[in-house]
Amino acid sequence: MIRDATIRDVERELARLRNEQTGADVSPSLRTSVMTHMAWVPERWADAATRALGGLEERHPSRTILLYPRPDEERDELDAAVDLRCFAVGGGAGVCFEVVELALCGPRAQRPASVVAPLLVPDLPAFLRWRGDLPFGAPELEGLVGVADRLLVDSAEWDDCTAGLERLETLFDLIVVSDIAWARTEPWRYELARRWPGIAEAETLAVAGPEADARLLLGWLRARLEREIELEHDAAATLERIAVDGEPIELTRPDARTPSDLLSEQLDIFSRDPVYEEAVCSYSSVPT
Amino acid sequence: MTETQAPPAAEQENPLLEGIRRRRTPEPCALTIFGASGDLTQRKLFPALYALAVRHLLPERFAVVGVARTKMTTEDFVARMREAVQEHGRDEFHEETWEELAEGVRYIPTELDDDEGWDAIAACLTELDDERGTAGNRIHYLAVPPGAFEEIVENVGRRRTTSGWTRLICEKPFGHDLDGARRLNATIARHFTEEEVFRIDHYLGKETVQNMLVLRFANGIFEPIWNRQFVDHVQITVSESLGVEGRAGFYESAGAIRDIVQNHLLQLVALTAMEPPIAFDPESVRNEKVKVLRSLHTPGPKHIVRGQYGPGDIEGAEVPGYREEEGVSPDSETETYVAGKLYVDNWRWADTPFYFRTGKRLPRRETTIAIQFKRAPKPPFDAAEEGMRPNVLLLHIQPDEGVSLAVGAKVPGQGMAIRTVHMDFLYGGAFRTGLPEAYERLILDCMLGDATLFMRADEVEEQWALVDSIIATWRRDRPAFPNYPSGSWGPAAADELVHRDGRSWRRH
Repeated sequence: MIRDATIRDVERELARLRNEQTGADVSPSLRTSVMTHMAWVPERWADAATRALGGLEERHPSRTILLYPRPDEERDELDAAVDLRCFAVGGGAGVCFEVVELALCGPRAQRPASVVAPLLVPDLPAFLRWRGDLPFGAPELEGLVGVADRLLVDSAEWDDCTAGLERLETLFDLIVVSDIAWARTEPWRYELARRWPGIAEAETLAVAGPEADARLLLGWLRARLEREIELEHDAAATLERIAVDGEPIELTRPDARTPSDLLSEQLDIFSRDPVYEEAVCSYSSVPT
Repeated sequence: MTETQAPPAAEQENPLLEGIRRRRTPEPCALTIFGASGDLTQRKLFPALYALAVRHLLPERFAVVGVARTKMTTEDFVARMREAVQEHGRDEFHEETWEELAEGVRYIPTELDDDEGWDAIAACLTELDDERGTAGNRIHYLAVPPGAFEEIVENVGRRRTTSGWTRLICEKPFGHDLDGARRLNATIARHFTEEEVFRIDHYLGKETVQNMLVLRFANGIFEPIWNRQFVDHVQITVSESLGVEGRAGFYESAGAIRDIVQNHLLQLVALTAMEPPIAFDPESVRNEKVKVLRSLHTPGPKHIVRGQYGPGDIEGAEVPGYREEEGVSPDSETETYVAGKLYVDNWRWADTPFYFRTGKRLPRRETTIAIQFKRAPKPPFDAAEEGMRPNVLLLHIQPDEGVSLAVGAKVPGQGMAIRTVHMDFLYGGAFRTGLPEAYERLILDCMLGDATLFMRADEVEEQWALVDSIIATWRRDRPAFPNYPSGSWGPAAADELVHRDGRSWRRH
């Protein structure tokens, strides 16, 4: 870790690592990126973020910038660790991806955009994964939304998902938002869609699962069917059961996607999801 | 004013499906593999089915019926396939996934002319409809030599179920010549519509071959220069370092021209030269490929070189010549190498040569398409001209899948020395998820009824027409074989073929 680092230090370290890979007697490694992947990782989410990143670099080679906010530290500094992770390909040259870890200490935690802006890979999309609660209106969120093309959240990570979903639509005109909780509901939405046209008259939706998932499913059904539907929610860590008007809905095939798979899927999507946005907007008027 | 009422839900489009990205999951079906005890089933088909199972891409309700002459029980067959998956599969072996797949596997030993055997196959498939819910949907995979196609097609056609769909996958080679291919197409057409027939050229299932279409038609920078005005010539190389490797029986009657040129090589020519299709669907893509095949000039004898390998060295080991291989006639005139020059006689490519070469026992295994562009008209760097080569866009189909662009760059220093450097896009570097095997893609596409990556009847016939015309010219003379040592890049005449035009084969 470089203490009190500058962006120039980071760039110099990246260049040094790349040069090290290109020795006189070895084939040069290729540096490959399809995007810049930023992740805002408050301390309590550090382990989960590291786990989700496992294998992700191989599926989505990118310059990964992990931002660790430490607003409570007194010093106004940036600590940096730079790594070049290389994988052998075939028998020849390797392929390298860059990982930059930045601890934003003190007031820097509120100004991350100017830290990452010089590190974005030109001409490639920039994804921002925001771990934990979204601090609506906070300068760090607004700043990063300004430099990213897409914001990835998991509304199930929010302490107050009701309030979060209600305010989320304020971001829709600023950035493309995708929600891993929404992605998790997809197999269930497909099963519900298979109940068409009978489901058109649905009156109650019962969900045993995370609150965010339940709220999103309700918002989606209300918006799509254009009718009032009542939610009966039992809290559970994962989406376990769904029933419509008392009739249980079964998944024809278990959802085997890992958190890393879910994140990976989202990194393949570039456009807005109007159905999701509609579900979120519809949710704001759902009685709680 | 009268109020208009919304139509009942049953008559409306399902609003809940909008925005749901479903994986391409096929309908329930039973896959019958004819030639199930053969090498292809063990090395490619079952490993591909297992890979699809691992990724949950097989139908929810699925069964496989292996059919072959070899006498064995279903249990023996399952055990063999299990070993095959463990040996040739690209995924870690999971007992649970295998068991799920193996539960739906059956094996029927029979001769193809045995009516009882055919009845047993039909009864087995009907049972599977009940037991496994395969709903009368059938895929018949003909992994057998072309001589057995007609008998299978007749029998399968006569016993078609009335419920569900039936599809036919035909392995290459599709026929032995144009007449044979036409006869086979006619037999098939008596029982199946063209939409039900899937003629495989596994090259089309390769990611890098499909990527060629993406490279050409999804990137605005290439298409404007992809023509006779900017391209000097095209070189296609399909080389193998292996010899006949136990396939002498087949190879003696096929040779390189039927084994590689008739299918893989002409498909690569078609994909390189075709016009942009209006959509990526079976008819649009195949229409464009057929137009290219129809516009190929039949090359004259001077434009075709054939060869046969003699003894030599491969990777430091001495290897025998073709005529010394087991099962090969000591005076065999079968060609193991073909090089040629083709012209695509259309507006885009008139007078632009497409050189190709394919052979066995060449120094290394490689499939590449090199698009060599015309030289810069008047570079202002007189002293540097020595280091300047024309730009080449190199598409690596295998191995090291990817794309390279050779460009001239200034050598650092005081002068203006120029060297050619390669900018590489390594497919496995940008997308490190293991590339799916061609057979995975093709079997899945067939289950989904998507024939885009399969050959149509007229396409195969056009390919045979060209190949037959080349073979006809060979009947006039006796070749002086062997004419290239193993481990070399082919006969000297192949070099002369390009040198005559003031060009040379790419340096390896």
